[in-house]
Amino acid sequence: MFENIKILTQTFGPSGREGKISDTIRGLMEGHVDEILSDAMGNLICVKKGSGKKIMLAAHMDEIGVIVTYIDEKGFLRFGNIGGLPPFIILGQRVRFESGVTGVIWYEEDIDNIKNVNLGKMYIDIGAVSREEAEKLVRVGDMAVFTADTIKQDGKIISKALDDRIGCAILIELAKQNPDTDNEIYYVFTTQEEVGLRGARTAAFGILPDMALAVDVCDTGDTPRCKPMAVKLGEGPAIKIKDRSVIAHPHIKDRLIELAEGNGIPYQLEIMKDGGTDAGSIHITAGGIPSGGVSIPTRYIHGTAEMVDMNDVENSVKLLKKFVESKF
Amino acid sequence: MNECRDLLKKLGSMKAVAGRENMAAEKIADLFREYCDEVKIDRFFNVIGLKKGQSKNPGNVLVTAHYDEIGLIVTGIEDSGFLRFAAVGGVDPKAIAAMEVTVHGKEELFGVIGTKPPHLIPPEDKSKAVKMEDMLIDIGYDGEKARELVSIGDMVSFKNPPQELLNNRVAGKSMDNRSGVATLIEILKELKKLKHDDNVYVVATVQEELGLIGAFCATYNIKADLGIVIDVCHGDMPDAPSDETFPLGKGVAVAVGPILSRKDTKAIIKLAKSENIPYQIDPETADTGTEAAVHSVAREGIPVVLLSIPSKYMHTTVEMVQIDDIISAGRLAARYIAGRVKE
Repeated sequence: MFENIKILTQTFGPSGREGKISDTIRGLMEGHVDEILSDAMGNLICVKKGSGKKIMLAAHMDEIGVIVTYIDEKGFLRFGNIGGLPPFIILGQRVRFESGVTGVIWYEEDIDNIKNVNLGKMYIDIGAVSREEAEKLVRVGDMAVFTADTIKQDGKIISKALDDRIGCAILIELAKQNPDTDNEIYYVFTTQEEVGLRGARTAAFGILPDMALAVDVCDTGDTPRCKPMAVKLGEGPAIKIKDRSVIAHPHIKDRLIELAEGNGIPYQLEIMKDGGTDAGSIHITAGGIPSGGVSIPTRYIHGTAEMVDMNDVENSVKLLKKFVESKF
Repeated sequence: MNECRDLLKKLGSMKAVAGRENMAAEKIADLFREYCDEVKIDRFFNVIGLKKGQSKNPGNVLVTAHYDEIGLIVTGIEDSGFLRFAAVGGVDPKAIAAMEVTVHGKEELFGVIGTKPPHLIPPEDKSKAVKMEDMLIDIGYDGEKARELVSIGDMVSFKNPPQELLNNRVAGKSMDNRSGVATLIEILKELKKLKHDDNVYVVATVQEELGLIGAFCATYNIKADLGIVIDVCHGDMPDAPSDETFPLGKGVAVAVGPILSRKDTKAIIKLAKSENIPYQIDPETADTGTEAAVHSVAREGIPVVLLSIPSKYMHTTVEMVQIDDIISAGRLAARYIAGRVKE
């Protein structure tokens, strides 16, 4: 599974430019499902046919990144954010464009206080010395993602883009394990989650499932002097109670809790005060689709080195398998 | 008047924190059953009542009022037995210190939001408001017992049930928007006395406080020709801007603004004048922040009217409304529905 995680996290795919990551996932899903479709928003929809309930599992395949908004006469690139980017985290980071061109993010050093730094005072340096030279490599509107290795250490994974390629890896692993069920399973790799849960909305409308789960990351509350949150790395998948975009449907969250307890799968309960998930847009689609979520506890979300525990990842697969195999 | 007051008190005593409206859905359904031909509860616990119209080819009017209320959710249980919590909907931390609450755990537990006595607050902190993450709910138990009865994700509701005041006024928790639900029933009652061609769907909706969720479901599932949304608007109070507040007892506030149906709004104002139903004009420059925003873009777009009951002290446990305004809203909406001429 780690090999897949490595491939998935290292493949280019900021919101709105999911072509490459979609092709990669398609390759990994082939042979494990009956049908693979792609819709107008670019969602990759993999169907395992069945006569029972239609269950949609959504993991978003887009990642955060930057977009070039202006190239100055000296060849420096000004940029905007794709998804939530805390300025102090991206300072000094490398970014890579789809073409492979690498850039460095720095800031205008004449600001009085580093607290005042924002994206408008930052730039990307690709080493070009003039606009003409820069424009040979990059155009306004091109997107880039952060670069950082994917490492396994002491049962933890440290990588960029675990949000939410880890969810993608979990869905792929689940499909490989071929759940024993009559339910019709839709493994959906959604687009543009980071810019407003957009892909999941059209995917859900197209599928009209009986229920849906978002498989995404959630914060933890186990690092020095962090905000209080009752989720810890390594203590099991988090069953979503609430995030900013959704309150999990009581029947869905109760079923997940029941299944975790009945099968000895460790679990935690998630109330995430910031951040939403695909469940937020799915549950208000087409007259309402009962939705919930299974979340992977993740430290440093939207940093370039996010961290998850492989036990949580494996237990997420187990819990999701029990869910799709259960009778509704 | 007394009947409406008793109804509002009954509604205000129900508990339905956003996202867990199943606690009250059946009770609301029972109230609808008395006046409707069909009542059902959808998968999200919207309560839908249908009062059939007399036309052979009836249109559909959809009247929504949310019945969820703001509250709290347990986010952690301390070893000492104190409960950590977060807001469900727009809760002002200043307004909940020292409140009595009900924790909906394995059983209903009485709790208080404890605050430090003034004697023990250091002088430099005296003028500071307490942050929500620094407050805790005390249910009197130690950690072990608390964990047995309460789990993370359990909802917490505020206690203050409605109290009668002078001038037909009622104050308590969840007047936002049980006043709206009371108006739905007033509409049904009025319609019993009137003939109406159109099918009237009254829907007590869920999760409005979390982003108009129930309205998304209802406006898709019921193909409506006209939408009417009943919610609360700010009542007038000292120090509040007078252009955004409305006096209690001066009638239902009829919203006028870009997302609202110009034709229906004009007609409803005309009707209020001719029938001598007290009303006020509520200018809304943007999307109103109410379910009307959802109606207006649902499916092919539903022409929508927004009627509001002035309520003082919104999103506190002492929200105050005046029964007369609910009655004027009910009369006006019912008469408008009954008088609708099909194009």
